[in-house]
Amino acid sequence: MSSGLTAFITRLDRFGRLLENIALVAMLSSMIVLAVGQIVLREVFDTGIIWADELLKLMVLWLAMVGSIAACRDDRHIRIDVLSHLLPDWLVDITRVLVDMFAAVVCAVIAFQAWRYLQIEIEYEDTVLVETPAWIAHVILPLAFALISYRFAVLAIKKFVGLFVNVEEVATP
Amino acid sequence: MIMVSVILLLLAILGAPLFAVIATSAMFGFHRDDTDLMNMALEIQSIADLPFLAAIPLFTFAGYVLSESDAPKRLVRLTGAMLGWLPGGLALVALAACAFFTAFTGASGVTIIALGAILYPALKHDGYPDKFNLGLVTSSGSLGLLFAPSLPLILYGVIAEVSIDSLFLAGILPGMVMLAMLSVWSLWVNRDNRKPLSSFSWRETAAVLRETIWEIPLPFVVLGGIYSGFLAVSEAAAVTALYVLIVEVVIHREIRLSELPKIMRASMLLVGGILIILGVSLASTNYMISAGIPQMLLEYVASLVSSPASFLILLLVFLLVLGAILDIFSAIVLVVPLILPIAAEYGVHEVHLGIVFLAAMQLGYMTPPVGLNLFIASYRFEKPIMHVYSATFPFLIILMLSVILITFWPALSLWLVASP
Repeated sequence: MSSGLTAFITRLDRFGRLLENIALVAMLSSMIVLAVGQIVLREVFDTGIIWADELLKLMVLWLAMVGSIAACRDDRHIRIDVLSHLLPDWLVDITRVLVDMFAAVVCAVIAFQAWRYLQIEIEYEDTVLVETPAWIAHVILPLAFALISYRFAVLAIKKFVGLFVNVEEVATP
Repeated sequence: MIMVSVILLLLAILGAPLFAVIATSAMFGFHRDDTDLMNMALEIQSIADLPFLAAIPLFTFAGYVLSESDAPKRLVRLTGAMLGWLPGGLALVALAACAFFTAFTGASGVTIIALGAILYPALKHDGYPDKFNLGLVTSSGSLGLLFAPSLPLILYGVIAEVSIDSLFLAGILPGMVMLAMLSVWSLWVNRDNRKPLSSFSWRETAAVLRETIWEIPLPFVVLGGIYSGFLAVSEAAAVTALYVLIVEVVIHREIRLSELPKIMRASMLLVGGILIILGVSLASTNYMISAGIPQMLLEYVASLVSSPASFLILLLVFLLVLGAILDIFSAIVLVVPLILPIAAEYGVHEVHLGIVFLAAMQLGYMTPPVGLNLFIASYRFEKPIMHVYSATFPFLIILMLSVILITFWPALSLWLVASP
């Protein structure tokens, strides 16, 4: 691989990671502030924001989705992890290429279906949070699954390439 | 359809991400029912309709902050001052500290890394046999699962639509029984080395109380807030997160502000991994219910067992097998909706079912082939996995006995719930 491409990929990875972190920090912090603020408003001022609870729940959805994207980058999605302790490394890598490609395809399908659903929400002018268009809240679904699909594809390709690099090393001692 | 199920099962065992496997099975179900696949989106975004779910990211974050600070060290010192004068003190200290810490960090293996690293060498230094120490530290890694505000308890409450407040109360006595049985075992094993850790000292106690003055109120913030009716579970979680942040970042200054993004990311990786499984499971559960699978399961179970007691035996065996292959979070979101109606048919209280479910799944943390604690301990203490397993085995047996006791003695779980 040319060094220019490697540098580009490294920079892309760092940029993506930064974006994820900014989103996670912003959402988690505002969740804490919003939830605690709501308690203070209720107990001290005997009032509250009507849409606060709904917004909190939507933020959980967003946290879940962005967290899933990030979990993909760090390869931390929950799997039944039996084979990696039993099989030789190269065989584990081959199965990982297979199952990660599978995950990439599944997520692409979900992203597409979520995209279709979003069109309908736009068409029917569904709303959340009093009168915010619902698609703004739900756009995270197709977006997240598309990114997760992409990340699984990257994981699979990396493992796949790694497979051959290793084989070459073994072949030329 | 059978073909599809076999392939999916195979993919799961080969290590495909569980959420992708569950999503595929749901989509095949929809396809067979001529339901538009678009419904996947609808189901997943209904994560945002579940009550109290905000408690999960907030408590997880609070737990991660605690484990990154020096709170684990202070906790060991505190329990040392409180229990260290008892014979076999350090073993008891280890059990109590781990249980408390796991309740706050949600049994994600953090306990072994944060507390085990302190306790393992300390136990060795005090003359306890190595094998015992390894087993103790490994099995303690999931010990506080039944104590509030552990994540699995909250998740069960959300999925089963059971009051989380009741679950928090219900877990106390069964959790205590587990602790007590392990303590008795530890004392008996070390009956030749029953020296106290130290004699009780008012000075040490006063010093350590001063040191932990900010952390001691934590359980009271959580439980007090909830049981006074002052805070909902998700609100208690937000207050806990903010409180822990202020204590560890501003007062103790053990975590720098610049470290927070890293900690937030680490905790949200876990949360994202759990909640995406929850989202796709909502879809697969809905499909299974519309396809009448719970009824089919019920008829099948009814053909096997007739009395509540024999149902509980069957349930226990099933959960032990389940726990050996599936992590606790996936097991809750996938299996609880299916067994809830069956258990109700046999007159098993839903709160008791929850405690039995989690207690049995706790054993899964230390049973091969996928016991998370075994691998974390093996990695952390650089011991071969079989060695860790055999060291943990006696603890596993004791915990198994406690789970049997918890299963067949419903009053243990329900006593505190019934008497408000």
